[in-house]
Amino acid sequence: MLMIVTLIVTIAIWLLLMPIVPAIASATLHRFHLRTSSFTVWAMQFPIPAMYNFANRYKVQADQVSSTPSDTVPLDGRMVNHFPARIFTFADGRYLHLRHGEDRWLTIESSYRGQSLRTHFHAEPAEEYGFELHRLDGNPGTR
Amino acid sequence: MSSISKPDSNLTTTLTPTNQLNRTLFGHRLVQGGILLTLIWKWSFFVAANSMYDAIPLSDPFFPAWLQSAITVRVAFVTAVAAVGLNLATDRHRLQWICSLTALLCMTVLCIHQASYNDMTFVTAWWACVWAMWFVNHLNDPDQASLLRRASFLSRLIISLILLGGASGKWTAEYWSGEVFADIYFKDREFWVFQWLRSYFEPDQLRTIAMWYSRKVVLIETIAGLGLWALPPRIAAVMAILLLASIALLSNFLLFSVLFALIGLASVGLLVPRS
Repeated sequence: MLMIVTLIVTIAIWLLLMPIVPAIASATLHRFHLRTSSFTVWAMQFPIPAMYNFANRYKVQADQVSSTPSDTVPLDGRMVNHFPARIFTFADGRYLHLRHGEDRWLTIESSYRGQSLRTHFHAEPAEEYGFELHRLDGNPGTR
Repeated sequence: MSSISKPDSNLTTTLTPTNQLNRTLFGHRLVQGGILLTLIWKWSFFVAANSMYDAIPLSDPFFPAWLQSAITVRVAFVTAVAAVGLNLATDRHRLQWICSLTALLCMTVLCIHQASYNDMTFVTAWWACVWAMWFVNHLNDPDQASLLRRASFLSRLIISLILLGGASGKWTAEYWSGEVFADIYFKDREFWVFQWLRSYFEPDQLRTIAMWYSRKVVLIETIAGLGLWALPPRIAAVMAILLLASIALLSNFLLFSVLFALIGLASVGLLVPRS
């Protein structure tokens, strides 16, 4: 029981510090965008509950977009509750946007207490089957 | 084996070995039942995932290949349902332990798989599985009343943590203003509350309602996240069940998949003997 309580208290402290420690909010923003430095570090955060966290916007386009890190205009997309990359990864979004087998560009933006992160994805039809997901904002991290 | 008993004035609190066993086994089954309902409520996800991840694979170097595979989702989900179902039915301790561990491993996989990582259903189910693993390890403890008190405390801690996780991510201007819920729920969500509100109020009035709805959510999650764990078991159980059920009833029935496991955990508090 002590181990479980310790884990709960550790996560609770993490959550309570998130509004005042920018590094924690940044880590969570990167977690939401699948841009954590490594998959292992990302996966270790899965017990941290994040129901309806942050202001997450997304926009799916059929026309090519490029990474524009200097762009400060808020994204004019719809809101989504959490983990906005789900628009391509989760079943309903995959069906909605990728079932025709054509290129699609997804831009997601998450904001929290003055910090924000914008990420661009390109779902490119693979040579044989399905799609390859490319990030236009840098490396997706290594394992 | 000695029984734990209260003075004669309150017969309902007398615990014989038989009803002690029933209470702990019942508590175990309540939580397993909650997890099973959570997974059954998620059946539509599984049906969609079963076809979609084969039909439209999405190769992403961020995830290991086996955590992008449709087969992994199928195996993890179906195995979890089978393990939880068997755990609910059996009273053999060894089998309960194996089923609890199996379900915990399956939930861990679903929490980090490309197809399901974003779904809080599997996170709440994972926490319920952690509780179940601990509880099964103690099912044969001689002092069952003490076990139920500790189990209830652990369940309250877990529920508080889940709610705190929801609250802390909403401590931001976009939730205080209602902007997020206005777009996700009030704009066009097909749900009785929002359909009814849209039929009676103008868009600018809806924005004001969304703001107060959002503030209500932020405040309730914050208060419950910070304080639920400290309440007496039965009061906490009743409050948690009402609160968790109201979240789904007033916003989205699909959220029951996230909440059934937590409602099962909360119910354990009702089994703690009065002392």
